[in-house]
Amino acid sequence: MTALIEIDSVSGSLQGGTSGPRDIALLSAAEWHAHPARQTQGLLLGVDAEPDERFLAAPLIGIEFPAFHDGRGLSLAVLLRSRLGYAGELRAVGDVQPDLIHYYRRCGFDSFVLPKGRSVAPGSAILAPYSDYYQASVRNPRPLFRRNRGGVHQRDR
Amino acid sequence: MYRYDNFDRQFVAERVASFRSQTERYLAGELDADAFQHLRLRNGLYMQRLAPMLRVAVPYGTLSSTQLRALARIARDFDRGYGHLSTRQNVQFNWPQLPEVPDILEVLADVDMHAIQTSGNCIRNVTTDQFAGVAADETLDPRPYCEIIRQWSTSHPEFDWLPRKFKIAVTGARNDRAAVDVHDIGLHVYRDEHGERRVDFKVGGGLGRTPVIAQLIRQGLPMTHLLTYLEAVMRVYNRYGRRDNKYKARIKILVRAMGGDGFRDKVDAEWAQLEGSASTLPEDEIERMEAFFAPPAYPAPAADELDAARFAEPAFSRWVQHNVAPHKQPGYAIVTLSTKVTGVPPGDVSDRQMEAVADWADRYGFGEIRISHEQNFVLPDVPRAALHELWQAAQAEQLGAHNVGLLSNIICCPGGDYCSLANAKSIPVAEAIQRRFDDYDYQHDLGPLDINISGCMNACGHHHVGNVGILGVDKKGQEFYQISLGGHSGNEASLGEIIGPSFSREQVPDVLAQIFEVYVAERRDEETFLQTYRRIGMQPFKERVYDRTD
Repeated sequence: MTALIEIDSVSGSLQGGTSGPRDIALLSAAEWHAHPARQTQGLLLGVDAEPDERFLAAPLIGIEFPAFHDGRGLSLAVLLRSRLGYAGELRAVGDVQPDLIHYYRRCGFDSFVLPKGRSVAPGSAILAPYSDYYQASVRNPRPLFRRNRGGVHQRDR
Repeated sequence: MYRYDNFDRQFVAERVASFRSQTERYLAGELDADAFQHLRLRNGLYMQRLAPMLRVAVPYGTLSSTQLRALARIARDFDRGYGHLSTRQNVQFNWPQLPEVPDILEVLADVDMHAIQTSGNCIRNVTTDQFAGVAADETLDPRPYCEIIRQWSTSHPEFDWLPRKFKIAVTGARNDRAAVDVHDIGLHVYRDEHGERRVDFKVGGGLGRTPVIAQLIRQGLPMTHLLTYLEAVMRVYNRYGRRDNKYKARIKILVRAMGGDGFRDKVDAEWAQLEGSASTLPEDEIERMEAFFAPPAYPAPAADELDAARFAEPAFSRWVQHNVAPHKQPGYAIVTLSTKVTGVPPGDVSDRQMEAVADWADRYGFGEIRISHEQNFVLPDVPRAALHELWQAAQAEQLGAHNVGLLSNIICCPGGDYCSLANAKSIPVAEAIQRRFDDYDYQHDLGPLDINISGCMNACGHHHVGNVGILGVDKKGQEFYQISLGGHSGNEASLGEIIGPSFSREQVPDVLAQIFEVYVAERRDEETFLQTYRRIGMQPFKERVYDRTD
């Protein structure tokens, strides 16, 4: 049983572990490009994909992590978001580890599919171990030093 | 020194809580061993030959007396009464118990310390010149930039899961004491002729299996662009560095595959998209960081009677000659307290020694201590008038050896006695060398000489850049040692050349004696070992060594 975890795009809070994957297919790049109605189809990218403006038409892009410790998918997500301005849903699939989800979120992922055998409780501290971070990220483009250091921080959630 | 604010404290406290959860889930069987391995490594915890090893981050080698006392307490309460100063300016504990590690992290957090990113395939603790901020030959204090990089790299969203470990070193002095040429990124910071802060980027240096000298890819970058240019380099590496073979995964292999120019072009193209983004450092942020490292208010120095004391006590005179470096501030000195005493593994220090050093830092300075990559303690602000008193105290604690820069100041990894990666032991080799050449007059006559020993090709003992490098190798279950000559880690860094077939452990001291005989016979005037080697080459050494041992 796989579990889809979504991040609320408004509040940033996590809704986790409650539903199955949303009913939209993730097509390989070749299938997706060939599809007559690709603007309705999900696109599955490998972590080594080069960002391509045509991807902007996809309502959902999945990035498949071959291993949870393969950070290429993080850079790809950052480029899709900040370089191409992709505004659709970005989903991490493959060898997703709950303990790494806080990295994925900050790189612009909205949702995650956990593989069989891994689970995480909704609202678990595992999903958001830190209340704020030092650097700029897709989710909070202003680094801490451009915010009110020492005063009240704007949360990077 | 940098002082934590509430943000830093909260981050470290949350890291402790997160690691405690990961450890508890692993011990309860809820987190698999593979995942826990990667997670614990990002928190400095290795599983070693005899016990776990915890590597505590000492940011750019600087710590306070309060922090050093906490390390002494950890050594006493959680370990066997000692710790180890590493070649990357950190402190390692070799005997903690896994379930107790979160408690150790809490003790560390209480004094604003942690073990974040001291291992694993991520950006490691940034290192610098152990004399930063006080060295007479410094042009720009590198520590504010080290701290800026520390914060930027801590749990970075994109760059914490790299193809391989990543080491950044920064220097701001004319003489490079941070070995920037053999790091993944080596930064040289300085002020240009108009007083503007600038940084040179060198990329792709490293030791290990494939030692490489870094290439200069960007010169004179205005400091405001430090983080965005770093981001560009890291993104190119994260995306294109090899992940199929861990021995070919360091950035040096990527730089070589793309060519220095090809790599630079790729980085520059990426940076063109990042230049001016929110991570660009505002002037006031640079100044805010610089303020943490402003020089202390040095009291006017008391008149010292150093010359008379040196004349009266030759041993003190030697210590001043070798272990005391010139300070920016008149009347003050930088003191290196050598851990290299025969019979003690290089870099090992007891809880009692740590507390003594902390006390001296308070009494003869401003409560600050440095750790050098040569595995020694440094007291950065000692009044010259107090040198004799400090020397006497240091002698009583076995920290008064006058051997900095000399043969017996050996750099040595923990080796096969502790490390599960090692092919051979390294500590007994260091001890055998120290015993064979324990005569000070002989060492002094040989002059500046770095001997670096690694127990395997991962090169934690930096053997490639020792004037004499010794590498432990395994041949059919037997430990042998390969010797190289001509390595150097400062300005104009060079990699040592292997002299020939390897030697048994027993042969090593005699082979070194032969090598030194050649140097003494061939040297001209004041030539150092390295200068003579560079002039005459390997052949005379080779002939001497293999005529005798074959």
